[in-house]
Amino acid sequence: MADKRLQPKNVNLRPDRFERRVVYEKCGRAKYISHLDLMRAMQRAIKRSKLPIWYTQGFNPRIYIMFPLTLSLGFESKVEVMDIALLEDIDFDEVVKALDAQMPEGMKIVSCGIPVHSHTEITYAEYSIRMVTDRSSEETMGLFEDFLSKDKIEIEKRSKKKTVNIVDIRPSLDVKEMSADTDGFRLSIRLPAGGNFNLNANVVAETFLGMYGLNNEEICIERTKILLADGEDFC
Amino acid sequence: MEEIKNKLEKILLKANKPARYIGGEIGSVVKDREKVDVRFAFCFPDTYDVGMSHLGMKILYGLKNQVPNWWCERVFMPEKDFEMLMRENDIPLYGLESLDPIKDFDFIGFTLQYELSYNNVLQMLDLAGLPVLAKERTSLTPLVVGGGPCVCNPEPMTDFFDLFILGEGEEVNLELLRLYEKMKPSCPTKEEFLREAAKIEGIYVPRFYDVDYNEDGTVKSITPNVPETPARVRKRVIADFDKVYYPDSFVVPFSEIVHDRSVVEVLRGCIRGCRFCQAGFIYRPFREKNIDTIKNETKSLCEQTGYEEVSLSSLSTSDHTKINELLTSLSEYTDGEKVNLALPSLRLDSFNEELLERIQAVRKSGLTFAPEAGTQRLRDVINKNITEEEIMSTCKMAFEWGYTQVKLYFMMGQPTETDDDIRGIAELSDKILQLYFETPMEKRGRSVQIAVSTATFVPKPFTPFEFEPQATEEQIHHKQEVLKSAVRSKKIRLSLHYSNTSVLEAVLARGDRRVGKAIYSAWKKGCYMDSWDEHFQFDKWLEAFAETGIDTAFYANRTRSYDEVAPWSHLDYLVSHEFLVRENKKAHLAQTTRNCKEGCSGCGVRPECGGVYCGRQKTST
Repeated sequence: MADKRLQPKNVNLRPDRFERRVVYEKCGRAKYISHLDLMRAMQRAIKRSKLPIWYTQGFNPRIYIMFPLTLSLGFESKVEVMDIALLEDIDFDEVVKALDAQMPEGMKIVSCGIPVHSHTEITYAEYSIRMVTDRSSEETMGLFEDFLSKDKIEIEKRSKKKTVNIVDIRPSLDVKEMSADTDGFRLSIRLPAGGNFNLNANVVAETFLGMYGLNNEEICIERTKILLADGEDFC
Repeated sequence: MEEIKNKLEKILLKANKPARYIGGEIGSVVKDREKVDVRFAFCFPDTYDVGMSHLGMKILYGLKNQVPNWWCERVFMPEKDFEMLMRENDIPLYGLESLDPIKDFDFIGFTLQYELSYNNVLQMLDLAGLPVLAKERTSLTPLVVGGGPCVCNPEPMTDFFDLFILGEGEEVNLELLRLYEKMKPSCPTKEEFLREAAKIEGIYVPRFYDVDYNEDGTVKSITPNVPETPARVRKRVIADFDKVYYPDSFVVPFSEIVHDRSVVEVLRGCIRGCRFCQAGFIYRPFREKNIDTIKNETKSLCEQTGYEEVSLSSLSTSDHTKINELLTSLSEYTDGEKVNLALPSLRLDSFNEELLERIQAVRKSGLTFAPEAGTQRLRDVINKNITEEEIMSTCKMAFEWGYTQVKLYFMMGQPTETDDDIRGIAELSDKILQLYFETPMEKRGRSVQIAVSTATFVPKPFTPFEFEPQATEEQIHHKQEVLKSAVRSKKIRLSLHYSNTSVLEAVLARGDRRVGKAIYSAWKKGCYMDSWDEHFQFDKWLEAFAETGIDTAFYANRTRSYDEVAPWSHLDYLVSHEFLVRENKKAHLAQTTRNCKEGCSGCGVRPECGGVYCGRQKTST
């Protein structure tokens, strides 16, 4: 490879940067890793993998790594996405193998490809929620049906300017499935996600629990899909 | 395990930074519990963030886990929010690797790094579901053992421990666990096992010693009460330091910890002998690793952990005999791998332009120096052998390189200190400030700040100042006022620490077995996490001292005579009592002592211990 110092500073002019979109799982013990900690853990995993990683070209070079959608602390997911860039055109399988070998318990590299859609195209995400409250699963489900029958469900949402807005989330709740099982009330729901309007599944659950004065004994949330505006998978 | 895991599932998300309580980090060692014969809970009596930064734990964790049928796990003090959740849900203290309760382990080992963590030991034993008092734990296991620098005087903690491990742990830990593994099938009693363990050099079993006191409250004698144990227990030392075990991987935490980086130990011990510094005496003799060893360990750790920074650990890195060669060689590797090379513990007088340039190349932070005392006279008293000229020339160089921040650390309340010495701190800071203004405009940075921090001196065992009284609170407040009125420039920022914790440290550091009653009583009143300002309750401690008849002034503020029997006099840390007395006398005459490199001063450490400079005099003359 040519001497790196002779290459243009502008990253877009650099031919030898091979972008990779990696899909990974974050389950079990790994769900307790916060997003900030995850970024560090991934950087270290990449370093251990010895993949020829591309560093940012600033004053303090850093491993280039992008997460299009954060996953809240405590959520599980099998569809998480991160983008990295390599200095060499390495096979997808090889990237999967090298990174997967460095994953901590609960994390797994699922696949690797070339990014197709931009991060800003993410519009929805789907979640599977299981909750155990101080009522029976059937009662909890009944209350959730009542919750959905409301015309308006208003919550306070902090904007980036630190002002608090009142937002009606009812139109954003797109329930796909509900059931009452022995191990709790199960809900599959599609919510807006991404930069424009993001609705955290936890906020929905808390609003529901709060409205009916339910005690949350256990709540498990898994992100199952990341979707584009037309309902197609992000990757 | 499943039981604790299921319970944890329900509470973890209610805790602050839950990743600290569930394990699963890269580098953590998980074994099949069916195939393991000895289980060891390595407890650091402070939070995960602090304990995970501790190098000793990383070494001993890796060392024990190298043995296939031993399993060493990590245990930390939970933060109070999580501790409450644990208690509410009946979760006993567990090992982070297996999530099994540690009360079922063979060994529970605590490292005692600082006095203010003592009460966390009691709290952790209690959280594990065990009696805190050793005499109430009658079965063989768990054996509660302690190590670390504070066990050079473990007397205040003897009520709570079965045995202490003195000195460096790399060999003696293996010997102790091997003995246990051998004896375990025959189901010995605790007493039987401890009697055998007491025969191992470096193992101190406090129940095998009787302590008598004089009428004035001082110790009269400390005598063994069983034949197996020596009159004096000698600390362990690794003679061939270059070949000593060093881990090739670390547990890499998810959440950010205090020192979140690879660490390579380059040398052990210190040649300097600053008279206030306990580490400078108890870790003697000075030994170092070869450059190739250090380089290999650096490479291996960086590759295994993926850390973006590696730090060289020692008491004084620049005292490595081949420091420049070492740094050149290491930075070749680290620069190529885009790894930061951090160099803490550089001594002021050893700073040369080349070193400064190297730090400049990798890290552009401010400079931190510890002159410790404001006047040359007092620096001579404490044997901090730096002259004002050396301080000035280093700072001049730093300013010319564009550094704009200089941090200076001082101690208050050192032996023979006068108000002039305190004003000397202000004068020295002022001179450094003037240096900045004398630096040509085009070279120096845009503004300047001199940050002056003072801490209260705490006399420690096995130092020449172990005989000295600690300054009282009133004296320290007076000194602080003197300093405040002597500082005139706004460019000099003072942070004057006075905390009652230094009184507590002084009592615990030089206490005897009777102080243990006060520790127990204070713990009963809810004192723990004492090193955390928000949790420290001095009033409760004072109550505990009063109730147990402990006079803090007797332990902290009294001058001890040279022939008084110290509570730790049955422990042998190689440095001789005669040497400490000699050094104390010289301190009062403001006479310095040369460092080991310049020539031996006869501290009592034998050449067989492997010191680089030990015994050299004999061969050269």
